[in-house]
Amino acid sequence: MNLPPLYPFLRSGFRVQRSAQGMLRTCLLFVVLALLCLPWADISVTTRDPWLELSRLGWGLLTPDFGRPGELILALANTLAFALQGVALGVVGGFLLALGYRFALIRRFSAFIRAIHELFWALLFIQLMGLSPLAGVLAIAIPYAGTFAKIYGELFEEVDPSAWQALPSGTGYLSGFFYTLLPQALRPMMIYTSYRLECGIRSSAVLGFIGLPTIGFFLETALKQGLYSEAAALFYALVLVIVTMRWWLQRRLVLFYLIAALVWLPPKVSLDTALVVRFFTEDIVPSPLRSIQGWSDVLPALERFWPWLNQLWQQQMWAGLTHTMILALLALVCTSVITLLWFPLISPLFGGRWRQAGGHVFLVWMRSAPEYLLAFVGLLLWGPSMLPAIVALALHNGAIIAHLVGRYSEGIRLREDAATGINRHFYEVLPRIFRPFMAFTLYRFEIIMRETAMLGILGIPTLGFYIDSAFSEFRFDRALLLLLLTAMLNMLVDGMARSLRQRLHLSSQPESL
Amino acid sequence: MMFIRKPKATACRLAVAAFVSLFAGLVHAASFTFTAIPDQDESRLTERFGKVAGYLSEQLGVEVTYIPVKSYPAAVTAFRNNQVQLAWFGGLSGVQARKLVPGSEAIAQGAEDTAFKSYVIAHVSTGLSASGGFPEGIAGKSFTFGSKGSTSGRLMPEYYIRSHFNKSPEQIFSRVGFSGDHSRTIALVQAGTYEVGVVNYSVWDDELKQGLVDPAKVRVLWTTPEYPDYQWSIRGDVDATYGQGFKAKVRKALLEMSAPELLQAFPRSAFVPASNSDYAPIESTAVSIGLMDAP
Amino acid sequence: MNSPAVLFQMEGTSLAYQGREVLRDIRLRVSPGEKVALLGASGAGKSTLLRQLRLQQATQVAWCPQQPGLVPMLSVYHNIYMGRLDVIPWWKNLANLVYPNPVARTAIAAIASQLGIGDQLFTSADRLSGGQQSRVSLGRALYQRRPVFMGDEPVSALDERQADQLLGLMMQQHETAVVALHDVALAMRHCTRIVGLEHGRIQLDCPVSETSEQALLAFYPQ
Repeated sequence: MNLPPLYPFLRSGFRVQRSAQGMLRTCLLFVVLALLCLPWADISVTTRDPWLELSRLGWGLLTPDFGRPGELILALANTLAFALQGVALGVVGGFLLALGYRFALIRRFSAFIRAIHELFWALLFIQLMGLSPLAGVLAIAIPYAGTFAKIYGELFEEVDPSAWQALPSGTGYLSGFFYTLLPQALRPMMIYTSYRLECGIRSSAVLGFIGLPTIGFFLETALKQGLYSEAAALFYALVLVIVTMRWWLQRRLVLFYLIAALVWLPPKVSLDTALVVRFFTEDIVPSPLRSIQGWSDVLPALERFWPWLNQLWQQQMWAGLTHTMILALLALVCTSVITLLWFPLISPLFGGRWRQAGGHVFLVWMRSAPEYLLAFVGLLLWGPSMLPAIVALALHNGAIIAHLVGRYSEGIRLREDAATGINRHFYEVLPRIFRPFMAFTLYRFEIIMRETAMLGILGIPTLGFYIDSAFSEFRFDRALLLLLLTAMLNMLVDGMARSLRQRLHLSSQPESL
Repeated sequence: MMFIRKPKATACRLAVAAFVSLFAGLVHAASFTFTAIPDQDESRLTERFGKVAGYLSEQLGVEVTYIPVKSYPAAVTAFRNNQVQLAWFGGLSGVQARKLVPGSEAIAQGAEDTAFKSYVIAHVSTGLSASGGFPEGIAGKSFTFGSKGSTSGRLMPEYYIRSHFNKSPEQIFSRVGFSGDHSRTIALVQAGTYEVGVVNYSVWDDELKQGLVDPAKVRVLWTTPEYPDYQWSIRGDVDATYGQGFKAKVRKALLEMSAPELLQAFPRSAFVPASNSDYAPIESTAVSIGLMDAP
Repeated sequence: MNSPAVLFQMEGTSLAYQGREVLRDIRLRVSPGEKVALLGASGAGKSTLLRQLRLQQATQVAWCPQQPGLVPMLSVYHNIYMGRLDVIPWWKNLANLVYPNPVARTAIAAIASQLGIGDQLFTSADRLSGGQQSRVSLGRALYQRRPVFMGDEPVSALDERQADQLLGLMMQQHETAVVALHDVALAMRHCTRIVGLEHGRIQLDCPVSETSEQALLAFYPQ
């Protein structure tokens, strides 16, 4: 008899053929990387009396103030209008891009536009067109188009090819597409698109933080001013809209909603051509290069450019890059843990109908709460460090993946004599959900990376922190460089996640972003 | 009721008007529009500044609209895009805005803004207390500014701190955060989350008066020297759009504003004349600490 | 009935499957030591009856359902181990996921080699053939070490010779058994009593010695 193999990862000889081996190794790799990051992660707990502020916050949550329904309804209407228009435009753009998803150039382009957070798109567009409706709509539509392109494109790739191959030879690409690919991919596309609308509503709310008149506009003010009862009312309204989506989002009403959104908030814009020209020819040009008038200026300008770039690299880019990576990696690992703890809340495999309904509401709460709010509570509790950021990101994203995994688990049928409780979790369910869980989490890594931008209040200099600084200093040249760096980082992570998924045979689950 | 053009207008209607104007009227720049972010209490902006809009409209004889914005950068952007022609800026945001819009000028400032100041505050657990001189002991503590673009919550305190230690804040403190807002700064230092912070003096005095500050937990260590802060800035092209002498009329209306319920919105006791040159020190400070490029 | 003279008992019970009544007026008693074969065409209600019987003595029954219900990602070892999850403390179960418990491993390795899957002990269940998966399912039932074996077509995925051998093993390892089968010869060879279901009723209930293969084939209309 052989000795028990050091199981499961450390030894692979002796006819050990484990389907989960690759996935477990990947998980272990991430955990080890995260542990290696810990010494640099700047985690400390320093708080003295958080209870006064926390009790104010708790009291506010218990006593929501719906005193100004007019403002609330307006803000909700604006939130929905931005989300509907932005997502609709994103669907159109994403669909067109997906048609050409075979071409690497289009894939890269899609990856690039979704690599930039909608907040930063909004900051860019607001510079170009002021606080106009179109700026908000485009800020949602562009990154969403990139995401739709990817998901639709991958769905088309995964369609059973036999229908396509059975077409008469000489059938054009478009005819073939509309007769075979599209009909087969349509259902998952619809499911994914409706899920994405929920994200769109959250994005639209968050755009309020920088000045668009959505619910985030008032929420941010209320939070900043410590008016927690008002903040609670706004937050509950947002949660209510999202929780009830499954009832009000009817397929036949979508067109009506869209028209209503266009009537309510016509996507107008007035472009000041001089400003636009100045933006592209001056504002975003690195400041040492702006003085170039003729060929004779080029060399001296370049001589000033390198020190400028070098300084930017040393002071902001490098620090931003490392902090972003460390934070994202730690947040990813914690997100995974939260996911595994929370998905049973909505899974029919653990508990009855009421338990599931309660879990559903709880998860909507957690994923609708802006990371800013979560981070602020964490900041009060544990003081400024990376810890509140990690916790905020993990709670928010964990709630999202837990929702997706919980929904996935609805399809699992267990034996009648299956174990219960924690044994059921680890033996019956976890191994069965592990593949989709990994796929969802890898998708989410890219998003966590983008969201690290939101947490400047914690004093963590991520790339997003410096981008925000550059915008608030009106140094668009720096902002653009930092944005490009961020986009490159995100594209790199996206590419890595894609190749990992392929290697681990994690089929792309569309409901996953 | 001379201040309110539509006496029946409820808060809700004002809010509607503000949002419609933000997205419909303003895009076409139909009416004369201004924005303002007060240094405290950012709630119910549309209600409070709706009255100011009413007053200006009476005085100027054109329709005047107020739009709320979220932050100093947003205000500057709206000014730059000609979505607002007049704005109540902080010292630094005014300088940034006027740099981006050639021909614009500062026309009035609050009576208090000629000699504005910031407080360095600390949680009692640090053991630090006011000693008259610069509080050396803040080095090595965790520290928070207010908003990144704030004059009183960032620029001037950073300048004094830098010139005293001859180092950057990141080198001086164990951690540097941006609370985003003066009220947040007070709340965070009071909770001991950050040990030290800087805050606009009038916000502090006001919250102290309202009982929101617990003197047993947080106290003032030091007051910065005085500097100019908030001001009204107006675009240079308003005369061309709204008629000769319009800028002068705006300045006159601002300087003559005396009703307490209007001034309360800012909150200032009165407005006094100002010019771009009053803010030269702010600009040179911003350049010296690297917040702006040299002109 | 205070002695375990009767393990399972139904006195005129009607049983429904997914809301539809499939069995009427069932009268059945099973005593310890009996080896009962349930025969009947598919849809006759064998699975419904078995499911109901199992619930009467859930803790005594080693259960082998028609769908093996294995966990694809887990190895043969773990799938067999799962038979005793309920009697082992949960923390030991978790530790066992990371590093196999030596005692359990010895026991399970023995069961696996009896079943002819000793070589695949650390192969994931999703890499097994259908027949091998049935064996794992049988292995889990064996590892439960309970007095009663209850199987719903437990050997139907195996070839004739293996089915014969493994069913024999299961009968030998359990004092009592109730097994749904469609192979009349197997039933005759391994069981002591035959229960035939037809038209929602028990049409036949007699010792093996009182019936014949020929008579039993009537339950499977051509």
